Amino acid sequence: MSTVAAPAKSLPELGPAPLNRSRKRWTRFILPTYTIVMIVYLASPIFVMILYGFNDVPFDRQTAKFWGLTLDWWKNVFNVPGLYPAFKNSLKIAPIAAAFSTAIGTLFGLALGRYRFRGLKPVDFIIFLAIAVPEIVLGSSLLSMFVLAKVSTGYATIILSHIGFSIAFVAITVRARVQGLDRNLEDAAQDLFASPVSAFFKVTLPLIAPAILAGFLLAFVLSLDDFVITNFVAGPVLTFPLWVYGAQRIGVPPQVNVMGTLLFAAGILAAVASVLAQRRRSRA
Amino acid sequence: MTTVDEVVVEAPPPGGSAGPRRSIGARRRLVPYYLLSPGALFLLLFFLIPLGLMLYTSLESGGLLSGGFRFSWAFDNYTNVLGQYQVQFVRSIVYSIIVTIAALLLAYPMTYWIAFYGGKWKSSLLLLILVPFFVSFVIRTIQWKFILGDHGPILGPLKDIGLLPQGFRVLATPFAVVAGITYNFLPFTALPLYVALERIDKRLVEAAKDLYSSRWEAFRKVVWPLSLPGVFAAFLLTFVPATGDYVNATLLGGPGTTMIGNIIQEKFLVELDYPEAAALSVILMIVMLVLATIYARILGTEDVQRAAGAGA
Amino acid sequence: MDDDRPMIDPVAMQRALRTRLTRRSLLRNTGIGVAGFSLASLLAACGSDEGGTTGQSATPQDVFSGEPGDTLNFANWPAYMDQAKDKDGNVYHPSLRVFQQRTGIEVNYSDEINDNAEFFGKIQPLLAGGDDPGRDLIVITNGRYFTALTQNGWVYELDPSKRPNFDANAASWAKDPFYDPGNKFGMAWQSGITGIGFNTKQVNGEITKMDDLADPAKVGSSSVGMLEGDMGDWVMINLGIDPVTSGPDEWKEAAAWLKMQRESGTVRAYYGNDYLPDLQQGNLNAAMAWSGDVLYSAIWLGLDMQYVFPEGGALLWIDNMLVPAGAQNPVGAAEIMDFYYDPEIATMLTEWILYMSPVPATQELIKKDAEKNFDQGYKGYANRLQATAENEFLYPTEEFLGRTTFGFGDWTDESAEEWDAIFLPISQG
Repeated sequence: MSTVAAPAKSLPELGPAPLNRSRKRWTRFILPTYTIVMIVYLASPIFVMILYGFNDVPFDRQTAKFWGLTLDWWKNVFNVPGLYPAFKNSLKIAPIAAAFSTAIGTLFGLALGRYRFRGLKPVDFIIFLAIAVPEIVLGSSLLSMFVLAKVSTGYATIILSHIGFSIAFVAITVRARVQGLDRNLEDAAQDLFASPVSAFFKVTLPLIAPAILAGFLLAFVLSLDDFVITNFVAGPVLTFPLWVYGAQRIGVPPQVNVMGTLLFAAGILAAVASVLAQRRRSRA
Repeated sequence: MTTVDEVVVEAPPPGGSAGPRRSIGARRRLVPYYLLSPGALFLLLFFLIPLGLMLYTSLESGGLLSGGFRFSWAFDNYTNVLGQYQVQFVRSIVYSIIVTIAALLLAYPMTYWIAFYGGKWKSSLLLLILVPFFVSFVIRTIQWKFILGDHGPILGPLKDIGLLPQGFRVLATPFAVVAGITYNFLPFTALPLYVALERIDKRLVEAAKDLYSSRWEAFRKVVWPLSLPGVFAAFLLTFVPATGDYVNATLLGGPGTTMIGNIIQEKFLVELDYPEAAALSVILMIVMLVLATIYARILGTEDVQRAAGAGA
Repeated sequence: MDDDRPMIDPVAMQRALRTRLTRRSLLRNTGIGVAGFSLASLLAACGSDEGGTTGQSATPQDVFSGEPGDTLNFANWPAYMDQAKDKDGNVYHPSLRVFQQRTGIEVNYSDEINDNAEFFGKIQPLLAGGDDPGRDLIVITNGRYFTALTQNGWVYELDPSKRPNFDANAASWAKDPFYDPGNKFGMAWQSGITGIGFNTKQVNGEITKMDDLADPAKVGSSSVGMLEGDMGDWVMINLGIDPVTSGPDEWKEAAAWLKMQRESGTVRAYYGNDYLPDLQQGNLNAAMAWSGDVLYSAIWLGLDMQYVFPEGGALLWIDNMLVPAGAQNPVGAAEIMDFYYDPEIATMLTEWILYMSPVPATQELIKKDAEKNFDQGYKGYANRLQATAENEFLYPTEEFLGRTTFGFGDWTDESAEEWDAIFLPISQG
């Protein structure tokens, strides 16, 4: 949605704007270099993680020292007792939580983005709070609730908690897209005798589909990576971040690096797919 | 820019029965409530009610070793924790302020360049910034612990060639904790900034330049003020969660870096003193609510929501 | 180290361990209240008999009779179970595999216990609510949470007739410990001591006593790790105080030493139980450490680390197997508990874990294993096994054990609160 700036024509007598060269230096060298440096800095732990997945450590725990390259850990990714089940748990929980929060959040976002209703402002504020609340407050309060309600913590509580905190994110993602939609399209469909429901499914839904997909991905990632809230409500169940946090107390096995690399690669693929899907949609 | 559409209620057609049309209108008025209800239910059950129960728990007393807690209007929980943990509260706030300022300083130039000069690479660049955060922050923070280890890949060689004294260390210092939190929350800062900067009409900057302002003046007088809502949103989205963080202090910190999040976590999961832990959480929550309300009243919640939405 | 160390004299051992038993703890263990902490008042305070009495109403004989279930959920600490790689490179637990082959019970093993308090916090709501705790066997150290579990009826009383291996093979220190007379509730898994571990190349001179950990000249600055859970008791022991009989005044003495240490600048961090990677990687020069961790690093990983028994004394603790109330497969749990008192199985464990085994017969078996490996040509492995068998921390003499002490044991909510109020500010400040 960037606006294309039409270059202003300068008065011929006065020539081009005086500080052209220094602007070029900033915008062509300094700032871009800075940005690249920042991007590399942000990704540096990832590079380390990927590299150390090949670290030929003589015993089973990761060290800071790099001993040499090996593919052992890639061959035996699922060997560490407890790690694979935890990884599986994360991969089981995330899609379920993401699916539900996407469904619920999409409806929520539609409502927020398109209708004015009584209670909009308080609902807005609550969504805002749900995004900004420190995870430790939410995690501990969820645990308090489960304890008071005598609900045993485990898979169900994890999934429910994940859905709880993802809904807001999905809702605002969808809402942002819905707000940008041209209402006339749906009205046009209705003028062509489509019922509101079929207008929704045939016109609106495809238009907001990228946002729904993006919301799903966001909820998926939030669930997969969540540590703090899951730590409070997981009970006997271990997810991948929980397992890693526990393992780092006596030493992380290199397989963790390998799994992290796999997740990262999957994340990149999903992000690229999402960007391409958005590009294709906006061209349509 | 309108943010909501009005629900169109159609007038009944002349001569026709008012029945079906009015009920459509009435039904349409109810549509948002239907759409909202599952989400509202979830938020009620898994957000609002737990927070309310936290309040309830904070007024309990008793002990887990002897069987449990009982509600007893124990306001002394609050006085106890406020008196006992002032240092950690203040420290958390100070750290968070440093983190937020550092994050703003780091993120602003980057987002500015991407928003104004990114061209068709804008979303890809934004994605590049966000992609590392797909990997769980536990793993990323552990990697930092490796990178910054006393004899790790950076400090080790520097010590070997004598540039640094043997006793020098980065880990287990406040610097490491603040740096860790800043790193982890950079996306929360960058996104609102980006969204705000991206929406600024570039032609305004061009206009300023045509009026012979220097580039710096154009920035100061046009871009910066217009980006302020984004700055405030970034501040809020960074400062508030950073105050409650405890993982960085645990993994990267040492004695004297304990934050209020660590205290809450220890009280909940180690001391098992749920009432006092809940009291601390409520206090943290109130601080956040106050800040959020002030912000929402002044600037509205849109920028924050847009920012979080842009991340997807 | 000579091979002719005398085997442990059981009577003397018992005396050494039991001299600290006071009348107060005796009274407490027989159910008469001290400081308001009586079983009867507990149940009344609970307000309901949902979970609190599940373990009480059925007798141990009822609970542990019948056929075992098909699966067993075993929760334990990390690195507390023997590990090996099969020919495909998959990691597995040999002793658990043997158990499955012998009994047909499949064990779901989870090393989820990282901390007594944290685990207690997870499981207590389930136990108090009378729900299925999700685990059939758990391992808890003696101390505050062990006391809470046993005194509230949150773990099953064991059936003494179901543990022939235990009766025949257990070390006398594992039988009838002061915190669990008659092994009513638990059986020892492994024991260990808390002493000092250090990187030999990174410290100046010999580290032999607690005060060395507060001496920047010896250990450098900001390079010592302290164990939060153990440091109260440990400091008291090294100051000449017996923790079992201690009170708030003695706790304050220990806290004063800790404050002094913190001000000396030697402390890098206060750890829960995650000091080992930092110690191994050299981020720490010295630390309060557990015997097995450091011995494993020194003997089996070949790191330049040393473990010492501090001059002032060391803290002795025992990790105990318990069956939580409401467990689905208590019969299976009882079977596996006794299974690990079979000397051959216990040997498999100790060779890997390197903590003090409650089965003394393992010492000879490890030596035999060493000889066998030596004959087969695995000299390095054999030497390590031999070092394991001869290590005084795994097979302590009676005199050695006499210099160790248990920690404070008279836990109630009040004493816990006072203890926390005195010690927590040191690590939390």
